[in-house]
Amino acid sequence: MATIGAHGIVARLPEGFEGRIFVRPSSLGSTYPVAQFATFPLPDDIGDFGSGAVNLMGSEDVFATLFEYGPESLGTALFARQGRPETFSPQDFSPIVLRRGLVGQSGTQWFFTEAGRPFSFYAVLGSHVLRDRLVPRVNMLLASLALSPALAAGTAPAPRWN
Amino acid sequence: MVALVVVSTFVVLVLGVLVAGLLRSHADILRSLHELGVGVGDPASAVEGSGRPAAPAPAPAPVSMGPSAASPSLGEAPTVAGVTPAGDARAVAMANSDRFTLLGFLSSGCATCGAFWEALQAPRAMDLPDGTRVVIVTKGPDREVPAEVGARTTGRIPVVMSTDAWVDYQVPGSPFFVLVDGVTGRKVGQGVASTVPQLAELVRRAELDREPGTARRRPDPVSVDGPAREAAADDVLRAAGIHPGDPSLYPRTLDDVFPFGTPTATPPGPANGLPVRTD
Repeated sequence: MATIGAHGIVARLPEGFEGRIFVRPSSLGSTYPVAQFATFPLPDDIGDFGSGAVNLMGSEDVFATLFEYGPESLGTALFARQGRPETFSPQDFSPIVLRRGLVGQSGTQWFFTEAGRPFSFYAVLGSHVLRDRLVPRVNMLLASLALSPALAAGTAPAPRWN
Repeated sequence: MVALVVVSTFVVLVLGVLVAGLLRSHADILRSLHELGVGVGDPASAVEGSGRPAAPAPAPAPVSMGPSAASPSLGEAPTVAGVTPAGDARAVAMANSDRFTLLGFLSSGCATCGAFWEALQAPRAMDLPDGTRVVIVTKGPDREVPAEVGARTTGRIPVVMSTDAWVDYQVPGSPFFVLVDGVTGRKVGQGVASTVPQLAELVRRAELDREPGTARRRPDPVSVDGPAREAAADDVLRAAGIHPGDPSLYPRTLDDVFPFGTPTATPPGPANGLPVRTD
């Protein structure tokens, strides 16, 4: 079981998952950490919410993204929920939640605040029909995530000679 | 006197066992090196007449890559997890596709790696089998300078810095290559190659050697947009008992839309100072 961590997000990847945790270049504007996970080869040049990746999914695949919003979103109604959902049920997934509608797939999206950071968790199932089998995999991934408070600007240790 | 003889005999026996163990261990090491093509201590590589071993050959010897009967499976291929030169985290699983994954273990300071750094980041030009995934793995930031690795990367393929991966895959040095079958998640070939065309040929040969019918087929999802998506949404709403004219389709207050209360900010979007998002 591989573990990856960066930008205050740690994932103990369940069997079969791969992933990446990154921040897009600040030259694009205000950017915050994004974590993407998949049970299929994850291209490096995909959109934050999986455009360019969900079309590569097989029926038994899962894709998920954890997207952090800026601190100005804290305290807003959209992020009022404290902590991520503990588990999802098959009823939480629906084809109309998909950001890109692909026949057979379904998705779910939740907004919440955890560790003082506003997040959105978006997951896609390769097959809505197989959701009873696929949702537990999403739950395993969700449970594997550890989120820590973001480092405030200026708290990073200053460089120094050894 | 008798006691002295007994003790001496015992000591000699123990030392004998130790020496035998050391010799066996040495033989195992030499055998492993020979299998890797290094040939240290191989009498065949001794310079005639000098009595000294010859220097290692400058070009590494190629090792066959292929899942044929002559090259049995080399074991499970663990997930490669580490960081990118930019400091992000990255994990690449090995058993999640129906194609090959070619892992190139390279170093930023290795002279013979230069051609592979360029070639592996343009896999189409290498004419690898369709869908072959290429991943470059360097040692972690504890052994490599991320900026130097970053200067060699183009961002086209995953580059993972992970000393653990080098240990997991028992990489003897760079350049070193491992070919993994994504269907089984097992290594089907590993070794070194002298040139880029030689490496590509080894991968192509492995593809040809692959048993037919082992690849999983992933159906291509059909995109639903526009009227088709609207129709699909209508079907789901009808299945949920929500028909045209249902009051829930026509919210009167924000409380109908936001069960947690009225939002204090406008919807997310770059124009509101919220993060840039690429869907």
